[in-house]
Amino acid sequence: MAETTGRTTGVGRIIVMVYAILALAASWRSGFQLLSKFDEAPVAFILSGFSGLVYIIATFALATRGRRAWQIAHLAVWFELLGVIIVGAWSLLTPEVFPEPTVWSTFGIGYGFIPLVLPIIGLYWLYKHPPKPLT
Amino acid sequence: MILDGWFFTGATIGALSAVICIIATIFRNYPADSSVLSLAAVELYLAVYAVYALLSPIPLNGPGWEFWGYIFTAMILPPIAFFWGITDKTRWSNLVMAAVGPTVLVMIHRLQVIWHG
Repeated sequence: MAETTGRTTGVGRIIVMVYAILALAASWRSGFQLLSKFDEAPVAFILSGFSGLVYIIATFALATRGRRAWQIAHLAVWFELLGVIIVGAWSLLTPEVFPEPTVWSTFGIGYGFIPLVLPIIGLYWLYKHPPKPLT
Repeated sequence: MILDGWFFTGATIGALSAVICIIATIFRNYPADSSVLSLAAVELYLAVYAVYALLSPIPLNGPGWEFWGYIFTAMILPPIAFFWGITDKTRWSNLVMAAVGPTVLVMIHRLQVIWHG
């Protein structure tokens, strides 16, 4: 199908939309947590805030054409996949560090496991549409 | 009450919007009017809900800042999906817009919990 070619068009736009929703949800929630109750769970909230920032970067990088954007998106999406796996496992092993839920706690259970599934879809999409080789 | 008429009305509109957009994805290879209208319905519901929350005598149980932040976030989703959906006019515009309904459904539940929980 011609309409699915290209990284930033067709189906790729849906991935960007879902990333935008997650970026909004994660950033505004962590912003609220950081400002209002930072002392209750500093580690969890700093991680939350950082993850929100990376989601915003990923959203814009995924929506932008070009080699540089591909590289930034690639890095951000990998970071999210590792983040959700490491923090997910960490939150299960030492729940006392995460008294308040974050985007990545228990592999993103509070967000319907979308934080776990989305980077995998994102990476599939990025590898399916690699930047043109430099010649 | 968290699961009151307001919740079920919003949940139904959100779910219907998603179904309409998914059906449009299958049968239309351009952004369908029905998808756009379903987003408008979601936005209208949120506006009415916000006015109701503002005027209602029932006090907020949770922090007002969090409540209104959720309303604001929910209300900017339909316009984002609309503008992002129609900039690339293909079948997939409809699926972009389908993402709003389920998200808003979850957010209405969260709003109800902050308000009445």
